[in-house]
Amino acid sequence: MQTVIDAHNISKVYNPDTIPVHAVNNVHLHLNRGEFTALVGPSGSGKTTLLNIIGGLDAPSEGQVVINGVDISNLKPNQLIDFRLHNIGFVFQAFNLIPVLTASENVEFIMLLQKKPKAERNKRVQELLASVGLSDKLDARPNQLSGGQQQRVAVARALASRPQFILADEPTANLDSHSAATLLDIMEKMNREEDVTFLFSTHDQRVIDRARRVITLVDGRIESDSAETQIKH
Amino acid sequence: MLTIIAWRNLWRNRTRSLIITTSVALGMWAGTFIMAIYFGMGEARLRIAIDNEVSHIQVHHPGFADDKEAKYNMPMDSLDQVFQQIPAIKAYSLRSVTTGMLATTSGSQGIQVNGVDPAAEQATRGMKDFVQEGDYLDPEKRNRVLVSTKLAQKLKLDIGNKIVLTLLDTANNITAGAFRICGLYHTNNAPLDELNVFVRKSDLDHLIGTAGRAHEAAILLHRDDDLDSVFQKLKQALPQYRIERWQEISPETALVLSSLDTYSLVFIFIILLALSFGIINTMLMAVLERTREIGMLMAVGMNKLKVFGMVVWETIMLAVVGAPVGLLAAWLTTLWLGHTGINLGPVMGESLRDFGYAPVIYPILPWHNVLQTMQLVLITAVVAAIFPALKALRLKPVEAIRT
Ligand SMILES: Nc1ncnc2c1ncn2[C@@H]1O[C@H](COP(=O)(O)OP(=O)(O)O)[C@@H](O)[C@H]1O
Ligand SMILES: [Mg+2]
Repeated sequence: MQTVIDAHNISKVYNPDTIPVHAVNNVHLHLNRGEFTALVGPSGSGKTTLLNIIGGLDAPSEGQVVINGVDISNLKPNQLIDFRLHNIGFVFQAFNLIPVLTASENVEFIMLLQKKPKAERNKRVQELLASVGLSDKLDARPNQLSGGQQQRVAVARALASRPQFILADEPTANLDSHSAATLLDIMEKMNREEDVTFLFSTHDQRVIDRARRVITLVDGRIESDSAETQIKH
Repeated sequence: MLTIIAWRNLWRNRTRSLIITTSVALGMWAGTFIMAIYFGMGEARLRIAIDNEVSHIQVHHPGFADDKEAKYNMPMDSLDQVFQQIPAIKAYSLRSVTTGMLATTSGSQGIQVNGVDPAAEQATRGMKDFVQEGDYLDPEKRNRVLVSTKLAQKLKLDIGNKIVLTLLDTANNITAGAFRICGLYHTNNAPLDELNVFVRKSDLDHLIGTAGRAHEAAILLHRDDDLDSVFQKLKQALPQYRIERWQEISPETALVLSSLDTYSLVFIFIILLALSFGIINTMLMAVLERTREIGMLMAVGMNKLKVFGMVVWETIMLAVVGAPVGLLAAWLTTLWLGHTGINLGPVMGESLRDFGYAPVIYPILPWHNVLQTMQLVLITAVVAAIFPALKALRLKPVEAIRT
């Protein structure tokens, strides 16, 4: 089993000098290639904070994050941006897309940053938007798409860079249950067919039910991890 | 694709961008057009200076420049000989010049008396065309004088009046002659008008004893471009005399022309400075509105250089889109008004004439100044872009995307 994410002893304290908020406490997290894992917990339990630290968007107060063998806390700011570009796909709760670009341009953009050749970009944009069921929306701007469609474009965009894994912070939070189910179908399909590793946070039970591994966070601590439970039993 | 993003972003807030673009266009139009008027005035001043006042080149006895005494003169035949050999010379006028006193029944005034050959004076500076009332000097009629309308007004003179000119001859003796006013003239240079009267050279020579000699030679060339080569030739042929080009004879004209570039540059600079505040403000608003978007872009892997470039690009477009429109408008306006002329006479009255400018101005737009303006616009855009772009760079992706 290839390790993709190895987070050791992660803690995050906001406002350490004034009113300290211990958002994440002493978390260990280990993710292998091909996993489809949900990070669950009530609002304020530290899901976003933990995902941001794993994704290299925020620095932990303590601990270290090793991705594919690289300790990302050692990277300089621009190296870190470049590392994210090539290794991590992001799907946020909202505001994933550039409003002035069409669906296909939004997907292509990330590959352009990676300096992929035009032919490869075009081919992949077509494939990805087809696999998220938006072949007929290639030239639509984000404001011409529904919330669910926008999130599907965001998943396609996250996949476009061929990352080590995809971090999705409450990707279904703004979606109705039907759109949420469709998005989960697509993520599952990508996980199965393209062997893409997913780590997504949610507090929606219907989404939790679709995960193969569930890590529960309470007050910034891991309360349970289905992977460990399975091993124990 | 950065260009596409920048361009489309520019039109996200159509009204705001249009306001800025229009301001830039209007600013450029106004700035460039005023520049064209400046240059038109400069060109007109130059033409008046050369064609109606000092000609291209003047030759004097070296002593004459220091104090205008009648004894500092030059033999006419040697001058004729040199000038006639140079084909670039279109016309020249040999003058006897002396200072003196004009006396009438109602008063007197110090003046410069110019003894001229009527035909040569007409050929070099178009003197006849400035006669407003009465007649130009008649080569056949003795002791006639041409005075300016300005002087006539001041001394209450009229055509047909007799005046007495009191002068110094070559031996510094006082001599005097009576002259009858044949005409009143009026040039574009009011200050000079008041000081100069014109008589036949032969009449003046008779009074001060300078027959066959001249104090001043004014030379008009066919082309401005021949100035330096003719100047060199004359210096060689007439080393004993002082040869001066129009720049030396009329340094104020040369100064006006050389300061035009600076003036217009300062003018454009001020306009651009004002515009840059609008541009900076607009772009700061744009960056602020797109905090989440820019944060998201940095999160997914757009590096700082690209973020910076994206904002700079958009700012440059915002600043530069309007400029060509304004410049084109200025060019068309200049083309049209350069043809019809702008008559400032009714507005400015005589004040333009008092400074030696013709009241009708034909604006000119020199190409190198238009290009220079474009460069300045570009520089302004880049400078104006820096602040908003830095603002964008300071965004932290985590904070920007937190909902
Ligand atoms: N920038 C911040 N400054 C201070 N406290 C923060 C900040 N971000 C999050 N928190 C706090 O950290 C805790 C965890 O928040 P978060 O990671 O957003 O949880 P979740 O995503 O599970 O809702 C919460 O108590 C929240 O108020
Ligand atoms: Mg959250």
